[in-house]
Amino acid sequence: MSYLTLENVKKVYNKNVTAVESFNLEIEDGEFIAFLGPSGCGKTTTLRMIAGLESVTEGDIKLEGKSIVNLEPRERGVSMIFQSYAVWPHMSVYDNVAYALKLKKLNKKEIDKIVQEVAKTADITQYLDRYPSQLSGGQRQRVAVARAIAVKPKLFLMDEPLSNLDAKLRVAMRTDLKRIHQEVASTSIFVTHDQAEALSLADRIVVMNHGVIEQIGSPREIYHDSETMFIAKFIGSPPSNFFHVEVKEKDKDIWLVHSEFELKFNGTEKETLLNQYVGKKIVLSVRPENIKIADEGIIETKALIIEPQGSHNIINTNIAGEEVKIVSDQFHLKEGDLIHIQFNENVLLFDMDTEKRIR
Amino acid sequence: MKNTIRRTLLYLVIVFISMMVLIPLSYLVSISFSSAAEINDYPKQMFPSFSHELAVTWDEENSYYILERKNNAGKYEELYMSSKFDRIQAYLETQLNVYVEEEDLEKDFVQAKELGQKIELTYRKSFFNNFIKFFTVFGGAEKALVNSIKAAVITIFISMSIGGLVGYALARTSIIGKEAISIGSLIVRMFPMVSISVPMAILLVKYGLYDSMLGLAIVYSIPNIGLTAAITRGIFMGVNKEFEEASMVFGATKLQTFRKITFPLVLPAFAASSMYAFITAWNDTAVSLLLTNKNETLALLIYKSIGGSSSIHYAASGAIVLIIPALAFTFLLKNYITQLWG
Repeated sequence: MSYLTLENVKKVYNKNVTAVESFNLEIEDGEFIAFLGPSGCGKTTTLRMIAGLESVTEGDIKLEGKSIVNLEPRERGVSMIFQSYAVWPHMSVYDNVAYALKLKKLNKKEIDKIVQEVAKTADITQYLDRYPSQLSGGQRQRVAVARAIAVKPKLFLMDEPLSNLDAKLRVAMRTDLKRIHQEVASTSIFVTHDQAEALSLADRIVVMNHGVIEQIGSPREIYHDSETMFIAKFIGSPPSNFFHVEVKEKDKDIWLVHSEFELKFNGTEKETLLNQYVGKKIVLSVRPENIKIADEGIIETKALIIEPQGSHNIINTNIAGEEVKIVSDQFHLKEGDLIHIQFNENVLLFDMDTEKRIR
Repeated sequence: MKNTIRRTLLYLVIVFISMMVLIPLSYLVSISFSSAAEINDYPKQMFPSFSHELAVTWDEENSYYILERKNNAGKYEELYMSSKFDRIQAYLETQLNVYVEEEDLEKDFVQAKELGQKIELTYRKSFFNNFIKFFTVFGGAEKALVNSIKAAVITIFISMSIGGLVGYALARTSIIGKEAISIGSLIVRMFPMVSISVPMAILLVKYGLYDSMLGLAIVYSIPNIGLTAAITRGIFMGVNKEFEEASMVFGATKLQTFRKITFPLVLPAFAASSMYAFITAWNDTAVSLLLTNKNETLALLIYKSIGGSSSIHYAASGAIVLIIPALAFTFLLKNYITQLWG
C-alpha cells in the first residue's frame, strides 16, 4: 500500500470555479515528488489540500492508510515551507525553529537538542539568536527549512520555496534541498512552475494543467516521452518544435509530408499510423537537440538568430512560417548562413484534435 | 562641498526646529520651579534656581529690616520691610519658596542690626514647593489626575476593542458595505469633538453618564474608533496569511495562532493608535468643560488655574504634572512600535 494516496480529489471554489479535478496519485515512502505546471493550474491548491489549509470538495486523501481530509492541519503531521518562507518576524530564529516543538510540550533540553541538530543540517547555527529581518532571503529560506524538518514530519510540503531567491542562490539552494532530503529521508512534495527545479529535484514529476494531471513520470519520461502536446511545449528550454504533417502511405512505407520536407517514418507507432491516420494531419514534435545540422539534410533553411549559451548555441530558423529552434554545438555558424537539417529518430507524434500522443 | 553645505543646512533646520520646542519647554520647566518673586524677573531664568541670594539691612529710623533679593539681572531689589520675624517667615514661604525656622531667621537677621551694615544671606528654596502647592492649593488636583488617567484608560480600551475589531473585519472578511464603513469611520474623525459634545451632553444626561469619566471616554472614543480601525486595518492586511497558516501547520490551534502570531504582529498598530486615543483624552479641555461639572480632568483644572495671575507658577508645575504621564506613556509604547519589527 502506498504511503500517501490521493483519490479522485476535487476542489471547487465558490460553487462554480473548479481548481482541481480527478486528481489521482500514489506516493511511496521517501519519494520526492514535484507538482509542475503553469500558474493557476491547481498545483498549489492540491498541496494546500494535503496540508489541510484548503478543504477538499470531493475525494479522499489517505496518509499511511488513514483518511486525513477531516483533520485540522496541526493533526496531520505534515510540515510546510511557504513561498514567502513565512518565518515569523517577531521571533528569533531559535524561537521560530522551536515553535512547533514548544507546542508539542517537549522539555527544554529536548527542544534545544533538536534545534541545534536541525540548525546544523540547515547551516544556520550562527544565526540562531538573530531576528529574521537581519537575515538575507537565502538565510530565511534555511530557517524555514530547519523549522520544517525539526518536527520530523510524515510529509514535507514545499510551495514554490525557491521562487523568491535570485537565480544563483536558487541553484545552490536546490542542491541543498536535495541533500537535506537525502539526509532526513522524508517523503516530500514540491510545488513549482520552474521545470529546471522539478527535473533536477524530483524522483517523479506530476505535470498539471487546468486542474488536471497531464502526466506522472520520472524526469526522463516527462522530457523524452511526453504524453501530451502541452508537456512537449511546456517542458524543455527551449521547448519542442512542432510541425503539422500529413500521413501518407507509399509502398507500405509511412511518409510524413510537410510543405518543406518529406520524412520516412520507421518508429514503433507505424502500425497505428497505418491503421488510423493515413491521409490525416498529425503533429510531429522534435526536441531542439534532436535536430541535427549536417552537410546534407531534408530541409534547407537559414540561421536567423543565434543565441550563444556557452556550452551550446540556440539557432533560430524559420520553416514554412513556423519558428524552429535548434540546439547545436556548431559554433562556427553565423547569422544568415544556409544550413541543412535532419531529424534523428527521437520524434514524438501527437493527434491534432486530442493533442495526445499517438502510440 | 555641495554635500557639506547641504548637510550643514539640514542640521541648522534640525537645530532650529528642536529649539522651537525646547526653549519654551525649558521656560515652562523653569517657571514650574520658580518662586513668586522670580516670576516677575526680567530677563526670565532659563533654568530653575536652587536658592535665593538675599541682603538684609536694619533701618534704624523706622526700626525694621529691609529685605532685598538679587534678581536674575544681578541687581538687588527691595522686597519687603518688617520687624516681625513671623511675618518675614510667612513672606519667605509664600513669595520665595524658602522655609526657615523663626529662630534661625532671627539669628541671621540680628547680625545686620548688630553690625549696622548690609549682610548677605543665601537661603535654599524648597525645590518641589510648587508641585506640593499645586496639589494643596488647587482643591481636587489629585482627583483630577486620577480622573484624567481613568478617562484615558477607558478611551484606550473602548477605541482599541471596537476599532480593532472593525479593523480586523475590514481587512479579513468580505462584509457588505466595507468601503462605506471604512470611509464613514474616518469621516466621523473629521468632526470637531466640541460639536459632538453638545448633542452628546443631552444623551449623557439621559443615561446618567454626565459628569462621569465613562461618559467623557465615550465622546473621546468617537474619533478614535475610526482612526484605530483605519490603522489596524492596514496592519491586519499587511500580516501575511502564510504566517498564520505556518503556525496552524506547525501544531497551533486557531486561538494559539492569534495569540502567538497574529496579535504580536499587529501590536505596533494598537500601540500607535492607543497613543492617539491617550492624547485625545489627556489633552482635552473643551469637551470636559462641557460634559463635566465636579469631576474635572487635570487638563481642564490647569486650564482654569492659568486664569489666576498670582498662581502662574503653580499652573506651570501642574502642566509639568500633565506632561510626565504623557511622556512616560509615549516612551513605553515607543519600544513596542520600534522594536517589534526587529
